[in-house]
Amino acid sequence: MSAETGQIFKDAAPDLKFRAKWYTRRVLIYGTLLFWTVICLFPIYWTATTSFKIAPDVMQGHLIPWADFEPAWRGWRSLGLSPQTIFETSTVREEFLKRFTNSVITSLAASALAVVLGSMAAYGLSRFTYRLKFIKNRDISFFFLSQLILPPVVLALPFLVLYKELALLDSHIGLILLYTLMVLPIVIWIMRDQFSAIPVELEEAALVDGLSVWKAFLQIVLPIALPGMIAAFILSLVLCWNEYFFAALLTSTDAKTIPVMVASQTGSQGINWWSMAALSFAAILPLVIIGIVLERFIIKGMAAGAVK
Amino acid sequence: MAEVTIRQLRKSFGSVEVIRGVDIDIPDGEFVVLVGPSGCGKSTLLRMIAGLEDVTAGTIRIGERVVNNLPPAERDIAMVFQNYALYPHKTVAANLAFSLKVRKTDRAVVKERVEQAAETLGLTPYLHRYPRQLSGGQRQRVAMGRAIVRDPQVFLFDEPLSNLDAKLRIQMRTEIKELYQRLGTTTVFVTHDQIEAMTMADKIVVMEDGLVEQVGTPLELFDRPRNVFVATFIGSPAMNLIHGTVRRDGAPHVEANGHRLPVRPDREAPDGHSVIYGVRPEHLDLAEDGGGFPARVAVVEPTGSETLVFLRFGETEVVALFRDRHFFKPGETVHLRPRTDQTHLFDAATGVRL
Ligand SMILES: Nc1ncnc2c1ncn2[C@@H]1O[C@H](COP(=O)(O)OP(=O)(O)OP(=O)(O)O)[C@@H](O)[C@H]1O
Ligand SMILES: [Mg+2]
Repeated sequence: MSAETGQIFKDAAPDLKFRAKWYTRRVLIYGTLLFWTVICLFPIYWTATTSFKIAPDVMQGHLIPWADFEPAWRGWRSLGLSPQTIFETSTVREEFLKRFTNSVITSLAASALAVVLGSMAAYGLSRFTYRLKFIKNRDISFFFLSQLILPPVVLALPFLVLYKELALLDSHIGLILLYTLMVLPIVIWIMRDQFSAIPVELEEAALVDGLSVWKAFLQIVLPIALPGMIAAFILSLVLCWNEYFFAALLTSTDAKTIPVMVASQTGSQGINWWSMAALSFAAILPLVIIGIVLERFIIKGMAAGAVK
Repeated sequence: MAEVTIRQLRKSFGSVEVIRGVDIDIPDGEFVVLVGPSGCGKSTLLRMIAGLEDVTAGTIRIGERVVNNLPPAERDIAMVFQNYALYPHKTVAANLAFSLKVRKTDRAVVKERVEQAAETLGLTPYLHRYPRQLSGGQRQRVAMGRAIVRDPQVFLFDEPLSNLDAKLRIQMRTEIKELYQRLGTTTVFVTHDQIEAMTMADKIVVMEDGLVEQVGTPLELFDRPRNVFVATFIGSPAMNLIHGTVRRDGAPHVEANGHRLPVRPDREAPDGHSVIYGVRPEHLDLAEDGGGFPARVAVVEPTGSETLVFLRFGETEVVALFRDRHFFKPGETVHLRPRTDQTHLFDAATGVRL
């Protein structure tokens, strides 16, 4: 037998046409995605590079390090975070670290509180039928969500007065409670969909299998709803981390957060672009890291009907 | 294993009463099928036995205990749900083992029981898969496996076959019956399919609108339906019902559309009583001699093994089922003779058997 090898079947004309179409589609889709990625990432890139620029570079719109301009540690030095200054005492750095810690504490605490409270509320809304006269589950859900429609400015004065009376001004607790309130509607909204997607029969099966109501919730419902909870937690974290208005209004020396510090960089002598960029970059870095690490949870949690 | 005794059971959702005083006795080790049309309260009744719905009034007893106020966990029952309710985040093995683990069963015992159940149900190759990676029939088997590993007092099934295709459903009902015969556990099985009920049950409970219409073996229900509802619900094609009046001049008979329909002489119906005359399609014979009653052929459905004929007797639609082949033409008139022994009489006003 002759050892003939090689291709026998070949692409016919329609196959080739199909392949060409397939390639064009791929190129178009990925081209669009790439373009969009560049647009999304550009501000971050710009912030990061600006923190290494000096005044003329900022003004002349130089973009590419080493080609356009020579990177310098100027911005980071002003924060006390450059290689030369990192081991020296620096009041700016201390200030920055304090604000950073404040932001971490308030965001984490508020998000955790909101996810715990919000999940419980959402579980109730998805599993039980409430009826207060004409108010039903749907109305309660909408009531929660409607809180987002109100512009926060409306609440500024009442909260200022309230917090003053309660001695909560410029305190972590005050800010945490307010942020919890702020993100609660979104958490409830996300978690309600999560719980509604889990069939009641699963819990009933768990009850028949020998669990108590609470254990059925903890061992069956919670693990299935976990991706959604993490997504809700991250979303809350981002919202709290970036919140400026109430932080500026209700805090001064002790509880002030990062966004307020960033905004206060615009002094009377104009804006220190480099130090503001360094500060901003340091402020968004934690979110970027969280986003990259937990991306798969966010996507899983946001995709409706993830549980079947 | 245990018997289940239900006494004067009632259930209301708000102001709507959906179970309206039900009494059922299920002896130890019996396979009971609850059957009835959609919305009659079968699932509700089953869920009350399981402890998933509160009891509004009455008692449920499993074995010696009144379980009205016990949580499902303490009733020692196992339930198979219509949508299977498998834990999506656990493998098949973990699903099977779950109830045993909850009860702190010894590890070696868990392993052995799970392996045995998997073997019985043909699930051994799938133990490490997740429910979403299984076909409908396989999921259904996992759901049953979860019930049998525990060796409970009572099995409860809520329409476990209704999500399967017709062929698999027939196969599974035989397999479930075989499983039951091997285990001998008291079983309550809910279905709205009367064929499923007839083929699987030791005893059938026919329900309608929150009430038990009749309890009996499949053949009892078939031969002596207690009322018109049971008569038409059990058996396929359904029993023919003809309105008429009892006549006792000469041989007792029912007069309908001006014709005489024969009845058994022992029927206790006075002359002139308004009745519904019932006869099953397979109990109508062709009267070549011109006896019986005349009916006009509307449609003929030959299925090969039998011939189904749809006819009109006056205004009444009548179905006849013949074992042998007939080639009637639509519009043709034939004479049908009911087998006197196999006829039924129901009160026209109440629908109750006479
Ligand atoms: N949680 C509930 N709240 C109010 N009404 C209910 C509830 N559950 C069931 N019902 C009502 O009770 C009646 C009986 O329902 P059930 O589910 O027991 O019927 P079923 O016989 O199982 O019917 P199917 O064959 O469709 O499953 C129905 O009319 C139903 O609308
Ligand atoms: Mg049902």
